[in-house]
Amino acid sequence: MRYLRLYLYFLRFSFSRAMEFRLDFWFRIVMDVVFYVVQIIFFSVLYNHTSVLGGWEFPQVLVFICGFFLIDALHMTVFANNMWWLPILVNKGDLDYYLVRPVSSLFFLSLRDFAANSFVNILVASGLMAWALLSYPDALGGLRIGTYLLLLLNGTILYYVMHIAFLIPVFWLHSNRGLGDIFFAMTRYSERPDRIFKGYVRRTLLTILPFSLISSLPARVLFEGLKPELLLHALGVTALLFVGMTLFWKRALRAYASASS
Amino acid sequence: MIRVRNLKKEFRVHRKEPGLIASIRSLFVREHIVKHALKGVSFEVGEGEILGLVGANGAGKTTLVKILSGIIHPSGGEVSVLDHDPWKREDDFRSRIALIMGQKAQLWWDLPAADCFLLLKEIYRIPDGQYRDTLANLCDMLKVSGEINFQIRRLSLGERMKMELIAALLHRPRVVFLDEPTIGLDLSAQRAIRDFLLQYREEHKPAMILTSHYMEDIERLCERILIIRDGEFVYDGALDRVVRHYANHKILTAHLKRWPEEERAAAVARLQGEVLEAGRDQVRVKVDREDVTRCAQQLLSEWPVVDLNIEEVDIGTVIERIFNEKGKVPA
Repeated sequence: MRYLRLYLYFLRFSFSRAMEFRLDFWFRIVMDVVFYVVQIIFFSVLYNHTSVLGGWEFPQVLVFICGFFLIDALHMTVFANNMWWLPILVNKGDLDYYLVRPVSSLFFLSLRDFAANSFVNILVASGLMAWALLSYPDALGGLRIGTYLLLLLNGTILYYVMHIAFLIPVFWLHSNRGLGDIFFAMTRYSERPDRIFKGYVRRTLLTILPFSLISSLPARVLFEGLKPELLLHALGVTALLFVGMTLFWKRALRAYASASS
Repeated sequence: MIRVRNLKKEFRVHRKEPGLIASIRSLFVREHIVKHALKGVSFEVGEGEILGLVGANGAGKTTLVKILSGIIHPSGGEVSVLDHDPWKREDDFRSRIALIMGQKAQLWWDLPAADCFLLLKEIYRIPDGQYRDTLANLCDMLKVSGEINFQIRRLSLGERMKMELIAALLHRPRVVFLDEPTIGLDLSAQRAIRDFLLQYREEHKPAMILTSHYMEDIERLCERILIIRDGEFVYDGALDRVVRHYANHKILTAHLKRWPEEERAAAVARLQGEVLEAGRDQVRVKVDREDVTRCAQQLLSEWPVVDLNIEEVDIGTVIERIFNEKGKVPA
């Protein structure tokens, strides 16, 4: 409850600040809507040449990419600003005050800055998701949709865990551009249906670097029905990576050198 | 409250020669040197004590403060602060310490201080009543009750520092680390903060460690100082003792009425101490502490003195001399 109350303060502060920068507020919405339109056009063009891609027809891919939009909007709103700041804070030695507070430093540094000016994008992405689900030709059922939304939430957490895991090496490397670029290049895999990949690439994307668990596996559960092993796999991988990332964070804090005054 | 034994901290630093060729070479072969920031220091600080940590830039002061507050890990030795190992960062430990860094802000720039204080209330789980009383008391002591509802960025540097102090002390910490709390402030703000710290110490009796390059901070606030040079303590004791040891003299300056040149020359020859200046209007003499009264009497009885001034040697000069010397300061 205390952490929830703290998060409400973060929200309040972030909204107060965001309202001061009106132009940025609108610019972010326009930028993300353009991104959504480009993705939908990209798949529309592909489906002009084929009726099935990775086992999915266009209405299924539409639900899948809208699922990714929702995860992306959540990540951009809840975590992205904090992830952007982390390497800067580490390199400038500005973690000091976060480390002396009696609160989890990981919680504080991951959630303190809520991008209130991206908040509207969650509403836009939710609207697109509702539209994609409503225009889906077959009945999906409440349980499947509920599980799908739960797995999208799991995908959001997984996205965050992998993002921060790619940033933590900054404690040793000091420059993190290379790893950051690799992470963003790899997020492309989460924007594609997992079945278009084969062999060890697919296995890697479902286990060690589970970008396909972010939005592709949830969509598969929605279309192919509830399979307990898939559910357990998605939740289990997220839990394992979260624990691993927490240990990695603790190890990194030991290497934190701060900065001289 | 603070106990430190044989504390060491080493940093491994990459050394690179200047120039492009050296940069390319460093891609393949790197030379690292180990920098010993702290070389086995030991000391204790008790309740209600303000310990001054004095040293040149890079001497190891900030490293020591950051180890004691749990920000960085030591390379060796033992540290106990409020019976905790700081680098374990237990919540009980972090709830009872405070860190104030004059060069780093902890408050949210775009928000009023009052909002930031509310967040800290939640972080430190301060009960409503205690929060209201402490905030009112601190605002009253620092005379900033009217400013807490303004955005931090709209405040002057002195007011911001006062807000930082309030933010750090809201939870009534038992140990307070102050790293250059008056840096960049004007004289009146510096004085206000010193007075506040003394009053706060009087009321709450926390252990405090203060680092500052302003000797007036050290003089006003600290009965005991630690002088640190290249990661080692060269002095641990009372401030006045080190001043007496290194400045066993005072400077007497007498402003004079005009008098004949030959009389003045004869009087100069009779004067006790080392004459630094003997002009027509003024004479300055460096005298051992025990001879000050005699020399002053001599000046007043034999010279046409209009005004007499007796100066202590500047503490900053004493400390600078210690920084530049080798070996420890004798106890």
